[in-house]
Amino acid sequence: MEISVLLALTPQLIVATGIVFALILISWQRSQRIISLFTKGVLFLALVATLMSFSQSTTAVTPLVTVDDFSRYAFVLVCLTGLCVVYLSRLMLSRQVEVHDEYYLLVLLVILGAGILVVSNHFASLFLGFELLSIALVGLVGYLREKNTAVETGFKYLILSASASSFMLLGIAFIYAYTGSLSFSPENYMAGSQIVSSKLYQIGFILFFSGIAFKLSLAPFHFWTPDVYQGAPTPVTLLLATVSKLAMFIVLIKCCFGVLPSEVVKESFLKELISAIAILSMLVGNALALKQKNIKRILGYSSIAHMGYLLIILAIGSHSGIAFAWQSVLFYLTAYIVATLSIFTVLIFFELNLQQNHQQSYLQNEQQQPEITTNDWQGLFWQQPLLAILALVGLLGLAGIPLTAGFIGKFYLISFASQNELWFLLASLIIGSGIALAYYLPLIFKLFADPDIGNENVQQNIASANRQVFYWSFGYSKLFVFLLLSLGLGLGIYPDILSRLLVGLGI
Amino acid sequence: MMISFVMLALLASGLFAWYSESKKTDSARLISIVSLVLIATTFIVYINNTAQDFSTLTTLVKVPWIPTFNIYFALALDHLSILLLILTFFLALIAILISWREITHRKGFYYFNLLATITGIIGVFTAVDMFLFFFFWEVMLLPMTALIAIWGHENRQFAAIKFFIFTQVSSLLMLIAIIVMAFVHQQQTGELSFYYQDWLTLQLPSELSYYLMLGFFIAFAVKLPSFPVHSWLPDAHTQAPTAGSVLLAGILLKTGAYGLIRFVIHLFPQASSEFSPIAAMLGLVSILYGAKMAFAQTDFKRLIAYSSISHMGFVMLALFSLNENAYNGAIATVLAHGLSSAALFAFAGMIYARIHSRDLSEMGGFWRSAPRMGGFALAFSAAAFGLPGLANFVGEFLSLVGAYQTFPVITILAALGIIGSAVYGMMLFQTSFQGPVKHSFIDLSIRELFIAVSLFAGLLLFGLYPELILQFSFKGIS
Repeated sequence: MEISVLLALTPQLIVATGIVFALILISWQRSQRIISLFTKGVLFLALVATLMSFSQSTTAVTPLVTVDDFSRYAFVLVCLTGLCVVYLSRLMLSRQVEVHDEYYLLVLLVILGAGILVVSNHFASLFLGFELLSIALVGLVGYLREKNTAVETGFKYLILSASASSFMLLGIAFIYAYTGSLSFSPENYMAGSQIVSSKLYQIGFILFFSGIAFKLSLAPFHFWTPDVYQGAPTPVTLLLATVSKLAMFIVLIKCCFGVLPSEVVKESFLKELISAIAILSMLVGNALALKQKNIKRILGYSSIAHMGYLLIILAIGSHSGIAFAWQSVLFYLTAYIVATLSIFTVLIFFELNLQQNHQQSYLQNEQQQPEITTNDWQGLFWQQPLLAILALVGLLGLAGIPLTAGFIGKFYLISFASQNELWFLLASLIIGSGIALAYYLPLIFKLFADPDIGNENVQQNIASANRQVFYWSFGYSKLFVFLLLSLGLGLGIYPDILSRLLVGLGI
Repeated sequence: MMISFVMLALLASGLFAWYSESKKTDSARLISIVSLVLIATTFIVYINNTAQDFSTLTTLVKVPWIPTFNIYFALALDHLSILLLILTFFLALIAILISWREITHRKGFYYFNLLATITGIIGVFTAVDMFLFFFFWEVMLLPMTALIAIWGHENRQFAAIKFFIFTQVSSLLMLIAIIVMAFVHQQQTGELSFYYQDWLTLQLPSELSYYLMLGFFIAFAVKLPSFPVHSWLPDAHTQAPTAGSVLLAGILLKTGAYGLIRFVIHLFPQASSEFSPIAAMLGLVSILYGAKMAFAQTDFKRLIAYSSISHMGFVMLALFSLNENAYNGAIATVLAHGLSSAALFAFAGMIYARIHSRDLSEMGGFWRSAPRMGGFALAFSAAAFGLPGLANFVGEFLSLVGAYQTFPVITILAALGIIGSAVYGMMLFQTSFQGPVKHSFIDLSIRELFIAVSLFAGLLLFGLYPELILQFSFKGIS
């Protein structure tokens, strides 16, 4: 194997080596500070390695893996998000007495899984990445085992995840049985129309797609989403919402753009299937979020809708649109991740603050997962403007309102859909966005409401009074908030920074 | 550069007002009003002294914004937008004066939102890059929604959400139309363009242009508002704080009319003329339905809100009659309604400040204790139903004269709306200011008197000397 080929895979190799060294480190010295620093260091190295490799051309490393600019960009996103997650987790875990080495190890494993997914060009490597990601996530989801939700959440995720991957495996087997190849790239295939008209292939694809759809929590495979979002530790939910979805979506696109020549998609039942799932997800996700009170549940449902919006990309009409499709996906995902990160950061600072203020009562109440409902951040704007503005920008970004990156993402999607004349999908995108406003806006209004009005619950009054004493002493928390804010607004007001970069990819 | 400076200065003074309120109570309103007067004066001086002639759309700024999509930060002015900008400045001044005592909490943030709304509206009236236009179109919504949701009346959140969703959904339709237009431009010339002047030269296939026109039309019809997408308006107007209602009725609705003129009719002349019978029917229904509904209201502000729907119906009818008289009439109506509805909402606010109710059944006999207020209320109701000598009469008269040439039957029916407006206008005045005395309170203060006099002066000026508006030969759409 040539050295340049190995070089292309360096970032993933760094993470993998990092995991081994982390194991050694744990056996040598158990220290929360060292392991979190080490994890950050590994992610940072991987990030730098990816950034350095941007100038290189598309490289196939074994038939399993192809590294191109899109996957490099995706891995940059993964590493950056991973860094944020580690930073936030450290804040959270440092409040506890126990040393949580395994946690960081699992996070690294998730990052590695995501790293493999974004470069995979073969069903085998897809499955490898998929499983690595899922199993590590199962561990993380139920990580805080003292909490009474841990077992339920972990089991729900484990069982559904396992059945999803078995479905997917069966699907892959069917596809293999018909085509005789596990590669994504089309030259190994016979004529496209012949493939798709085969029943075996169709069933195989549906099974495969349902496995991925579970991970992306597309309707009707979304039932786990709100419960797991709510039950998992908040930084883990963040990981689920960003890294896992990003990697799965990238690999789905690679697979679909590779396996299915787009002329075939245009004609075939697959386009109808994908459109139907997209429309269903947009409507179901948004409609179910309407009556929720818990903010993490709301975000869970809204992520269903967002993945539905993104699925529009798969209904691509012609080969010539692929470059623009990639740009749209990557921009939208970036905007989505920035917005999600913003809101979760607010949630995590909130939980930390609750713990800080209720040090005594919290310790007695170790089993209870802190629940953040919409009432909790009532009037936040008047007490903690910086945090509230971050939440505001995040929510507006998810809703796709101008000034935020989310709007430009939506602009990309609408441009893509109108170019490909996907009017039905556009219609449901509009309806979905309309419904979504009906729950984003009340959340935003809560931020601006009077802090004391309508809170009959005495406990909450205490919480609201305590909020005035807010601890900003979590590491570089203010700097972190400013960074997120400037990303969310900067990409919305001057999107060309990113757009130009995305145009340059893959050339 | 001038317009960008105006917008930046407004936004900056909004931020400064917000900041200074936290240092010194009641400084925000002072800063807002002083900076607004200064900025407006600078603008008017600039317009008077500049060598440019604004009889056609003159681009003032055009710098690249998002080169990937060939999007520019492009602003332009012509007579129409200058007129609307002056109306905006004037009503913004009135809005600040109205809020002077009404707003008692979160004052700094309030004035920031007020000035931010004005900034957005100025952007809407001047943007000629369609992406930029859409950007401002949405951005002006945010502070407006905040005004309703934070400082509104009892049911404010529901009203704000309804307002936002109606506008947002319809404007996404417009966004699609904008994007498709840009791609059509790409197909025809090989280059993506969102620039308005470029679009004017496009040759559109008739079916496509009809759908695109509809996309724009729906967004503007919601803002105007026209039947059947008007239902956000009564709620938003009723729940908004007084200054919010003034801005909504006085300027925000006019962005809908402006959009219809600038984008629907000018970009799609063929499709608009095909569509005109339907639009005229919608206008007629709005006129009659608005008048009927206004008559049935017991809430002072709701009544005015429905009357706005009725008056905007005239604008719609006149615009889609597609001739010069009607067009001039529509613009006169837009300006006149801006002043008269602002005045009526201001009065609703003044009455609310005194008796803490908007319910007409709790009003009556105000004339006895507040004759000056009564006199002005009578004058403004008379303006609203089109008394000759006041600006609304000019607008409605010209609209009907013009519309009659194209849609005789619809225009005859629409004229009934004027009778309707007289009925509800008189009802509004009589139930509140005449009849048995239910409340007595102090008459207009000097500040309120100033508001009333300046609005009335505007109405009278345009009513007696309509040449002020009509001298600008607005290009007819024939």
